Amino acid sequence: MAVYPVSVAAMGCVCACGRTAEETFEGARNGQANFALPKGRVVSTYTEKYPVFLVPPAVYTDKPQDQTFSQFFFIKAALETFKQAGISPVQLRTVRTGVVIGSSVHCSFHCFEIYKRWKQNALTEADKQGLRNYLATPLAQWVSTYFGFTGPFQTVVTACASGTDAIGLAKSWIDTGLCDAVLCGGTDELTESPYDGFIRLMVSTPTRCRPFCKTRSGINIGEGAAALLLVNRQTAEKLNLPCQGYVLGYGNCCDGFHPTAPDPQATGLQKALQEALKEAGKTAADLAFVNAHGTASQANDKAESVAFRALLPGVPVWGSKGVTGHTLGAAGAIEAVLTLQALNRRVLPATVGFAEPDEQLQLVPTTQNSPLEKRFAVSDSLAFGGCNAAIVLGAKDAA
Amino acid sequence: MLPNLFINGFSVLQGDAAAEDFAPFMDVRKLRRAEPISKNALLCALRAFEQARITDEDRAHLAISLAMGAGALSSTLKFMDSIIEDGDELSSPTAFASSVHNSTALFLSLVLGIHGPCVVTGQLDASFAGALLTAQQFLAKNKCEQVLVAVTEDVNTLFSDLLHKEPHAMDPFIYQPQLPPTRLAGALVVSAKPTPATQFVLHSVSLAPTADVHTHSEPLLPIHSCAHSVLLLAEYLKKKESFALREQFAGVVLEIEGSVYVRP
Repeated sequence: MAVYPVSVAAMGCVCACGRTAEETFEGARNGQANFALPKGRVVSTYTEKYPVFLVPPAVYTDKPQDQTFSQFFFIKAALETFKQAGISPVQLRTVRTGVVIGSSVHCSFHCFEIYKRWKQNALTEADKQGLRNYLATPLAQWVSTYFGFTGPFQTVVTACASGTDAIGLAKSWIDTGLCDAVLCGGTDELTESPYDGFIRLMVSTPTRCRPFCKTRSGINIGEGAAALLLVNRQTAEKLNLPCQGYVLGYGNCCDGFHPTAPDPQATGLQKALQEALKEAGKTAADLAFVNAHGTASQANDKAESVAFRALLPGVPVWGSKGVTGHTLGAAGAIEAVLTLQALNRRVLPATVGFAEPDEQLQLVPTTQNSPLEKRFAVSDSLAFGGCNAAIVLGAKDAA
Repeated sequence: MLPNLFINGFSVLQGDAAAEDFAPFMDVRKLRRAEPISKNALLCALRAFEQARITDEDRAHLAISLAMGAGALSSTLKFMDSIIEDGDELSSPTAFASSVHNSTALFLSLVLGIHGPCVVTGQLDASFAGALLTAQQFLAKNKCEQVLVAVTEDVNTLFSDLLHKEPHAMDPFIYQPQLPPTRLAGALVVSAKPTPATQFVLHSVSLAPTADVHTHSEPLLPIHSCAHSVLLLAEYLKKKESFALREQFAGVVLEIEGSVYVRP
C-alpha cells in the first residue's frame, strides 16, 4: 500500500558505471566506471586529451541503426523499468500513461556530419533520410509511440536540469490528475558539440573530475539514461505494482543571472530547494543526504555550497559525477535513481574524486561509504541559463 | 484538478523584431548582443505584458514556460560552422553557450526580471502545446500567479535550402515549401483566475501521439514549426469567437478549446 500519493514503481538506468540501476549504484559505491578517451565516438582534435564517461560499447552492440544513442539508452532503461515493475507496456495502455523525458543534446540540431556534407553541397539520400528521422523523432513523442501509449508527452530541454525537471513535472501530472502513470527520466549522448563546447568554455578537465575538492579543475562529460515509472495509488493497486520509493516534492526557479554560470549567491537554487521541501512537507532535519549537482566546476560547486550551508546545514552531501560524468539532460534522472538506490540500501556512498577540502566552500562531501537511517533525500540540478531544479525523494519504506 | 487558462495578453510575430519595435518598452541598446530568436520572444512578451497590465512587482510572481521547437538553431549552426571552418580549437564558446535551449529562457528572465519557475519544452511542432501544459501545471500547483508562455522558432538554413531545391524531400513532415522561411514568435500571459485584463479562457488543452504522421492542418507556414499552433490560436483570438483548435501533424494530435471571457 503506497504511503504517499506518487510512488516510483520501478526504475532503470544505463551509464558509464552500470548497465542497470543496481549496477549503477554498485559502480557508484566502488568507484568503477568506463572513463576513457572518446576516440571513435566523436571527431575532435581533443580526443587524445579529454576523457569522458562513456556507456560501455558492449551495451549498444544491438542498437538499431535508425535510433540515436539517446533513444536507445532510454529504451534500454525503460525496458529495465518495466521488467522490475513486472508489467508490460501493453498493460500500461489500460491507464492514462504519459511520458516526460529530459534531454539536451538529443533535442538540438546536432546532425554534424549531415551538416558538413550540406555545406559541401554533397547531401546523400541517406542524409535526407537522417533528416526525416530527425523530424519524426521528438524524444518523448517517439518513446510514447514506441510503447503504444496514448497519453500526453513532453520533452523537457532545460539543459542540465532537464532530468530533474522531467521527474518533477511527471509528479505534477499525477498530482493534478492529468495522468495515472508517467514514464519519466532523462537521456543524453556524447556528440561533438557539447564535447568541444565545454572544452572551449574552459570548464572541462583532462583528469577525472573532483567534486567539491580544493584541487577540482572542471567537469567530464558523460552519457546515459535513466527511466522511472511514477504512478498514483489507484494505479499501483490496480496493476499490482511494486514500490521502489516516492517523489514527494519538486521545486524549480531561474536565476536570471548569467548564460553559463550560476548565481554565486545561489538565490534561485535556494528557492528551488525551499519549494521542493515545502511541497514534500519536509525539513532539512528529515534528510539523510543531498545528492548534489556537483559538476566539479569552480562556479557550480561554490554556488551549491552556499545554498547547502544556508538551507541544509549538517545534511551530508554526496556528489556522484566522479562515476557517471556530467550526463547533461540525463544527469538529474540518473542521480534520482542513485538517490533512491542509496536510500533503499541504506548506504551513502563516498564522493568519488574528492580528496581535499576547499576552505572557501566550507563543505566536505561524503568521504567514505557509510550507513544511513533517515528515509528522505534531495537531489538538485543546475543548468546553463540559470535554471535550478530540486526534487525530494523518499525510500520505499518511508512513512 | 487542472485549471482553466485565462489569457490576459497575447502577441505573435512573423519575421524579426526591428530595433524601433522596442522603443515603447526599453532601451534597445541593451539588446545589441541578443540573438534574433530571443529578441523576437522578448518583443512578444513585452506586448503581451502590456495587454495583461503586468507591473514590475507582478514580474516577481511570474513563471516562464518556453517552447523552442528545434532550439537555438542559428547559434547551433554557427557553432558547427566555427568547428568546420576554424577547427575545434578555435571554435566559438559564445556560439556554444547560445546554442543551448535555455539561452532564450535566461534572456527573458534577465531582461524581464522574472525569477520564478522556468521550464523549456523542445519537441518540434508539439512544443507550444507542451509549454501550455507546463503553464497549467505551474498554476495548478500554485507555483506562481501568472505564467509567460513564450514560443520562438528559428529558421533552419539547411532545410530551407534543401526544400528550395527539392520541395518534397521532407514529406510528409514539411509542407508549403514554396513559402519563404521566416522566424516566428509568440507570447501569452495566462493565469488560473481571471484578472482585470483577461480576454479569453482556454477550457482544455490536450496533446497525444497518433499513428498517422501526415499533416491535417491549415498550412500557414512553410515549415510546420512549434509557432504554427500559436499563430493559429492568435487567429482565433483576433476573431473574438469561441473556438476548438485541432491540429494533427507528424504523429501528434493537439486540441485546444477556448472562448471569449465574459465578466460575471
